[in-house]
Amino acid sequence: MSGVNSVEKNGAIRLCQVKDVLEGNGLQINLPERPPLAVFKIEGQIFVTDDTCTHGNASLCEGEIEDGVVECPFHQGAFEISTGKAISAPCSVHLKTYQPILVDDEVFVNLNETSS
Amino acid sequence: MARITIADADIHFDCASDDSILRAGLRAGLNLPYECNVGSCGTCKFEVLAGEVKVLSDNAPGLSERDKKKGRQLACQCLPLMDCTIKVRQEEGQSATFPPKRTKAKLIKTVDITHDIREFQFQSAEPATFVPGQYAMLKIPGVSGERAYSMSNLPNEEGIWSFMIRRVPDGAGTKILFDSIQLGDEIELDGPFGKAYFRADSERNIICVAGGSGLAPMLSITRAWSMGSKNPMQHLTFFYGGRQARDICGESLLQELPEFNQQLQFVPSISVVDADTTVAWAGRTGFIHEVMNDFEGVDYANSDFYIAGPPVMTQAILDFLRETHSVPHDRIYFDRFF
Repeated sequence: MSGVNSVEKNGAIRLCQVKDVLEGNGLQINLPERPPLAVFKIEGQIFVTDDTCTHGNASLCEGEIEDGVVECPFHQGAFEISTGKAISAPCSVHLKTYQPILVDDEVFVNLNETSS
Repeated sequence: MARITIADADIHFDCASDDSILRAGLRAGLNLPYECNVGSCGTCKFEVLAGEVKVLSDNAPGLSERDKKKGRQLACQCLPLMDCTIKVRQEEGQSATFPPKRTKAKLIKTVDITHDIREFQFQSAEPATFVPGQYAMLKIPGVSGERAYSMSNLPNEEGIWSFMIRRVPDGAGTKILFDSIQLGDEIELDGPFGKAYFRADSERNIICVAGGSGLAPMLSITRAWSMGSKNPMQHLTFFYGGRQARDICGESLLQELPEFNQQLQFVPSISVVDADTTVAWAGRTGFIHEVMNDFEGVDYANSDFYIAGPPVMTQAILDFLRETHSVPHDRIYFDRFF
């Protein structure tokens, strides 16, 4: 899945609606002039990270998700979704995560504020 | 000889009983994912669907508990015990490098580079075929297993392979290389390997970052760049990090190139100040990523980065480039050894 959105509100960018993201899945969000983001829903909770693996040019939204961990479809490196921590080789650079801001069932992030 | 079949693809290749499935696949010209060849990087994960393999290292750092639970193995650590069917993801496109070959090579010359790094030149009967930045696996008589070393010279018809090797205190392999092996002695050489090779067609500026014996592949890349046709505006900046002043090397070799101090700049730094009073040091100090940070003239948005050095240094540079400067991963080249 992917979506394009860039409605700004108080410096925060609207990404999607909570209901657009399926439980246990990632939704790729393409934004102008920057690499895409991934919005994940794990046990009902929303997390936002960079979508591109830190090891190769792969979309993490296409990876398998299990126990709060997303696995890159290219070389099976893995990241903890809540923290962005690289937990399986060949990934060693952590993934950037962003604090989601939820307003009326809509997901926003402030791209200048990473949460890790 | 075992027959290896890739499931869901009409691909078969032969694998000798003493060869890894990864290397046999590469010898057959397949574009299989890998970086280090020694069980560290975790890039060559695959699954054995049918057949049996012998695993070289049970606790290779490249394979996590999570991978083991999912039945994955490392293709660089598996030798076939019979015909096997495997599941592996192939990289897109053709391999841009030469398939590796096993050959014998004789030691023809040694040159001391620093107090603990020595250049070893070997010669094989066949041409030395590789892309600058790549490495070979050396099997040294009397040493169990193989060691990965990068070439410091350029590919050549004469079959000369130059390596710059750092003496590892109490290291079995380097002890034999430094103390026992004689000119004329023969070793087994398997290569070339590695994805961190010189991309000669890029017009971006080049940043080479080396530490320790990582000098070798960066020197090879710099020599290839110097020899090639290039835009007169294209610059190469060569950062070299050592612990102490006596560890710093490379400048005399780079001075031989016509671009030195013009398009080519050498930026050495030491990280442990005052530890060594035998060699004076008036240059930069600090870890190499800190030196890069303070150095004006690195165009992070328009450069290719080549890195070779100790794992801690490589990781610090990677974090610095990716997190501080958002350099795209496809402009950063390194092979991960531990």
